[in-house]
Amino acid sequence: MAMFSQNPLMNGPNYSFGDAPKIGAPEGAREHRFDPYTDNGGSTLAIAGADFAIMAGDTRLTSGYSINSRHHPKVFKIGGTTADQHDATIVLSVVGFAADGEALKERLDSICKMYRYRHGKPMNVKACAQRLSTILYQKRFFPYYAYAILGGLDEEGKGAVYSYDPVGSYEREQCRAGGAAASLIMPFLDNQVNFKNQYVPGSGEGHALQERERRPLSRNEVEILVKDAFDGAVERHIEVGDGLQMMVITSNGVEEILLPLKKD
Amino acid sequence: MADRYSFSLTTFSPSGKLVQIEYALNAVNQGVTALGIKATNGIVLATEKKSSSPLADPSSLSKISLITPNIGMVYSGMGPDYRVLVDKARKVSHTGYKRIYNEYPPTRILVQDVARVMQEATQSGGVRPYGVSLLIAGWDEGILPEEDEEKEAEEGAGGDEKKKPSGKTGGILKGGPMLYQVDPSGSYFPWKATAIGKSATTAKTFLEKRYTEGLELEDAVHIALLTLKETIEGEMNGETIEIGIVGPPADHLLGVEGVEGARGPRFRKLTPQEIEDYLTNL
Amino acid sequence: MVGKDCVAIACDLRLGLQALTVSNNFPKIFQYGDNVFLGLTGLATDLSTVSDLFRYKVNMYRLREERNIAPKTFANLVSSSLYEKRFGPYFVSPVVAGLDPKTSKPFICGFDSIGCIDFAADFIVSGTATDQLYGMCESLWEPNLAPEDLFETISQALMSAVDRDALSGWGAHVYIIEKDKVTKRLLKGRQD
Repeated sequence: MAMFSQNPLMNGPNYSFGDAPKIGAPEGAREHRFDPYTDNGGSTLAIAGADFAIMAGDTRLTSGYSINSRHHPKVFKIGGTTADQHDATIVLSVVGFAADGEALKERLDSICKMYRYRHGKPMNVKACAQRLSTILYQKRFFPYYAYAILGGLDEEGKGAVYSYDPVGSYEREQCRAGGAAASLIMPFLDNQVNFKNQYVPGSGEGHALQERERRPLSRNEVEILVKDAFDGAVERHIEVGDGLQMMVITSNGVEEILLPLKKD
Repeated sequence: MADRYSFSLTTFSPSGKLVQIEYALNAVNQGVTALGIKATNGIVLATEKKSSSPLADPSSLSKISLITPNIGMVYSGMGPDYRVLVDKARKVSHTGYKRIYNEYPPTRILVQDVARVMQEATQSGGVRPYGVSLLIAGWDEGILPEEDEEKEAEEGAGGDEKKKPSGKTGGILKGGPMLYQVDPSGSYFPWKATAIGKSATTAKTFLEKRYTEGLELEDAVHIALLTLKETIEGEMNGETIEIGIVGPPADHLLGVEGVEGARGPRFRKLTPQEIEDYLTNL
Repeated sequence: MVGKDCVAIACDLRLGLQALTVSNNFPKIFQYGDNVFLGLTGLATDLSTVSDLFRYKVNMYRLREERNIAPKTFANLVSSSLYEKRFGPYFVSPVVAGLDPKTSKPFICGFDSIGCIDFAADFIVSGTATDQLYGMCESLWEPNLAPEDLFETISQALMSAVDRDALSGWGAHVYIIEKDKVTKRLLKGRQD
């Protein structure tokens, strides 16, 4: 899935925000241009469990080397009956350009609300995921600069995580990291959630080794993984930090947890 | 002309000698006596500061020089030549070592570098050999693991360590004090104790009688002063004697306090007051 | 990567020209003494030039000084040698790992291509999978790992990291350096 690859190319500066050299306009000419996008940094993470899903994001908002806010949420409840979202069942996380993320959240929320009022029931996560893709693709040539992840419970009550690129290509996954520190967190998730590169001891040599069987993780285990992933990302990425916002989606609703992260 | 046809002044005589080097040694043997004694825990270098006139101010005269924080040297022979060598030794210890490895050269490496400078003067065109012999004293960190030091001393790489198990001082493996003499020819010798200059022979005979294995630094300073007393021409006091020691790290010379892991220089010159104190106990 | 009385150094085996894989057995770790190791990433031609240069320099050091070079001394040699080429650098980012011969203390450090040293107490990463390795090491590493645990940690970190980097992979070499023992293991990885 090359479209999800957020690894910065090694032929340029290793920052996720725009740092491209400005092209010098010819002598005497003034270059006017419209640059509608900013990268506001930050990172998001989602992991699906057997009967729950956890969506998480840091709360730092940056532009360039500046920290604009230490508490700007990236994870939102979607499609509740009222503005306080007390009965929401779906959670959306957005990272990239904060204004686009905000607009995308508002749009998806109102669509989900309209659905609820018209149908008298909340939208299920599969339908919502498809709708989000449509919203993103509608702006194919002036995209929302946002990497979205949608989380909820599917019809069978299993945790569901859908991840998107900015133009609406999407996939249901077990886990996904997005944003500035995605390249730091994603291999950790492969290793700890999907048990990649873990083998049964003594089951063979080289490629004959038997892979460790995957098992659903408990909510507690996943919470620890999320914290560890962000602690690691905070340590090595300047755009990640301040606070960790976690939404735990279970059949009992959505529980929000706020934890401190390093502020340096 | 000079750069196109510069013939070496040091050429072999038919008998196989390089007489220019012998003349240089003669210059050394007319110089003021200097001596060095290696102890188990340090080294002492000592010499007489002889001034040609009672009007000269001896406090501004200095014959013992610091090369690196752990290495110092003294000479016998021509003062101006010595100062050139001090400059070159200080320079090469940085360009040839500190700037490459970010640490100061071990004594033997510095001695080799200085010896090369002196040897080149015996084989290059348009130059004369240096008219000095040097005593170079320094302290090296060993390379053996601390707990292995004793064991290795017995087993040894070639077994020759076995023959001198008491050899607590010096050596690449164990580290410790190292004392070398470098001659105008560029040859160098490690010593337990030696002397160079006018009364070198007398002084060495005296040292042979006085030197014992397992000497402590304080005893070595004492013996150095006694030896000097045998050969000295003028009066002996803190102004006319110069002493340099390699000893424990002198943290008070560091200039700062509280820097973790910072060690003071091991080589330092004794103040006239310290020398006077030793002299009163003589 | 630093453990308790031990260090580990590991590399992948891929050699590529951008996306084109040229070789899948190209080790990037070089040994310069009983317990001094150098890892090199970057331009392959500079890799062999630099590794040979240090082979020469370390051999000369050994002959001149009649002793093996210590990791810290070697690190400073690497630094000064790279800075010598300040305005025409070798395109490599080296990593040094070893045990101090005198104290047996673990030593690791990394460099940029012009020799600025990054001393670290935990781990050093380098190459195209730098981001992924930072993420893995930061979350898997803990202080005072025993040699076997250190092997597992560095292997899992490297394998998972290179699996998320298209430009790295094809198996790995892992060295575990202990006081009187160096263990080299070859890891099979994804062949894609």
